[in-house]
Amino acid sequence: MAAGPTVKKIMEIYKGKVRLVIKNYPYKYRDYSRGAAEASLAAREQGKYWEMHDLLIKRSPKLERASLLAYAKELGLDVQKFTASIDGQKFKAEIDRDLKLAESLDLYNTPTFYINGRQVIGERPFEYFRKIIDEELKK
Amino acid sequence: MNGSIALMICMFLFAGTAFAGKLEPVGPVPVPSANPQTPEKIELGKKLFFDRRLSGDGTMSCSTCHDPAQGYSDGLAISLSYPTTRNWRNSPTLVNVGFQKFLFHDGRAHTLEEQALFPMMSAFEMNQNLDFAEEEIRSVPEYVESFRKVFGGEVTRERMAMAISAFQRTLVSVDSPLDRFLQGEKKALTAEARKGYDIFMGKGKCSECHDGVNLADDRFYALNVPENAEQEKDPRVAATRRFVAKVSHYEDYQNLAEDPGRFLVTRDRTDWKAFRTPTLREIAKTGPYMHNGIFETLEQVIDFFDQGGGKGNSVLKPLKLSAAEKKALVTFMIEALSGKEVPFRYPKLP
Repeated sequence: MAAGPTVKKIMEIYKGKVRLVIKNYPYKYRDYSRGAAEASLAAREQGKYWEMHDLLIKRSPKLERASLLAYAKELGLDVQKFTASIDGQKFKAEIDRDLKLAESLDLYNTPTFYINGRQVIGERPFEYFRKIIDEELKK
Repeated sequence: MNGSIALMICMFLFAGTAFAGKLEPVGPVPVPSANPQTPEKIELGKKLFFDRRLSGDGTMSCSTCHDPAQGYSDGLAISLSYPTTRNWRNSPTLVNVGFQKFLFHDGRAHTLEEQALFPMMSAFEMNQNLDFAEEEIRSVPEYVESFRKVFGGEVTRERMAMAISAFQRTLVSVDSPLDRFLQGEKKALTAEARKGYDIFMGKGKCSECHDGVNLADDRFYALNVPENAEQEKDPRVAATRRFVAKVSHYEDYQNLAEDPGRFLVTRDRTDWKAFRTPTLREIAKTGPYMHNGIFETLEQVIDFFDQGGGKGNSVLKPLKLSAAEKKALVTFMIEALSGKEVPFRYPKLP
C-alpha cells in the first residue's frame, strides 16, 4: 500500500477519532506478494509492522525470501523468530480470512478503503479522504 | 476509456477570432446506422461494462475507471491501472460521450466501437488478450444467449464493443439548468450562475472552444499544461509513456520525457502536447482536471486560463478576470452544468 503516508497523516490528524483496520490482499499473480504479507505480520508480532511495511514498499519488487530476511535484520528484529514465522506461514489463516472477506465484498483492487462502509478505490490525496471522514464524523 | 485531454475550461484568444460559440441543449444522442440502439443490446453492454472478465487478471472492468458514482471517471489525478503498472493520464468522463467526434485525450479513436477495445488490450489498463476474452465470454451460457438474441450470432470482440458502445450512448447529462435556460426558462439559472454564464460567453471566452451540445468543440489545443511532478517521479509512469510511444511507432520513444499528446497520432509538430477539448457537462463530479489531473479544483483550472495558460503556449492570453468573476464562473459550471440526478441501476452479472 503506497498510500501509507496518507494513511499515517489521517491517523495523526484524526487521532482518537478514527480507527484503522488493515486487511491483507496479496495479489494472486505476484510470486512474492503472499510472502510479503507474511513478513509484515511477522514484523507486527515483534512490534514493527509499519517499519516493515514501509521497507517492503520502498524495496519492492525485491521481495524474495532472502530480501525479507535481510529486511528483518535491518530492522533489528529477532531474525530466527522471523524466519520461522515466514517459513512456517504462521499467519496463513489470517491472510486467507482476509482474502475471503475481500472476495465476499466483490473487491479486487488494492488499495481499497472502507470508511464507515463507503468504498474508496485506489490511492487518493489526503484531501479526498478528509472530505469523507469529516462527513462521517458529522453524522 | 483512458486517454487524456487537457480540460479547457475557458477562454481562447485567437488572433482575429472574436465570436463566441453557441451553446445548445442536450438532444438525442447520434447513433450510427451500423449499430442501432435496442434495450437488449444496451443491457448486454451494461453487463460487459461491469464485467471483470474483460481484464487479464479479473480485477478490472470498464467501470473501475469509469465509475457511475464518480461522474463516470474515477476521481483520481491519474487513472487507476492494471495491478503493478501505472497509468499516465486522467480518466475522462463518459458523460455525453456519445456526442464526441474523437475519443481519448489524444483523439486516436473516432467511434465508441473503435475505442472500446483499446483499454481491454492496453497493458497498463485491462491487459486482456482479445482472443481469450472472446472465449471467456463464450464460456458463459447467459452471454452466449444474449449475443444470439441481440446480434443473431456468436460472441465476437466487435459485437462486445458494439454492445458496450450502445450502453455508453445512454450516459447522458439530462435536464440541467443550462438546458432549461437555453430552452427559454430564463429563471433556470440563479443570479450568480447567470453572471457566470455571461462571463463564460463573453469576457472569459470559454465558449470559443466549449460550445455546442457538449460544451466542447472536438478540437485539440496545446495549452502547455504543467507536468504532474509527483507522477513523474514514478518510473512506472515513464515506462507507460515509452510503451505508448513505442506502439505508436515514435522513433525516439526511449528518450521521451513528457506526454506528446495528439502528436503521437498525427505526427504534426503543431500537435505536440495538444489534447482534446473535454466536455464540461457534469464538471462538478469529474475532477481532478486536465489530461494529467494536475488541477484538483475548478478554481485552479480557471486561474490557469486566467493567467494565459502554460508557459510558452501560443493559444491563450491572460484574461484579467476579477475574483468575483472567477467565483461566478465556478458557480455557473457547478450549478448550471449538473443535470438531474438519475439513480443508477447496477446490472446482475452472469
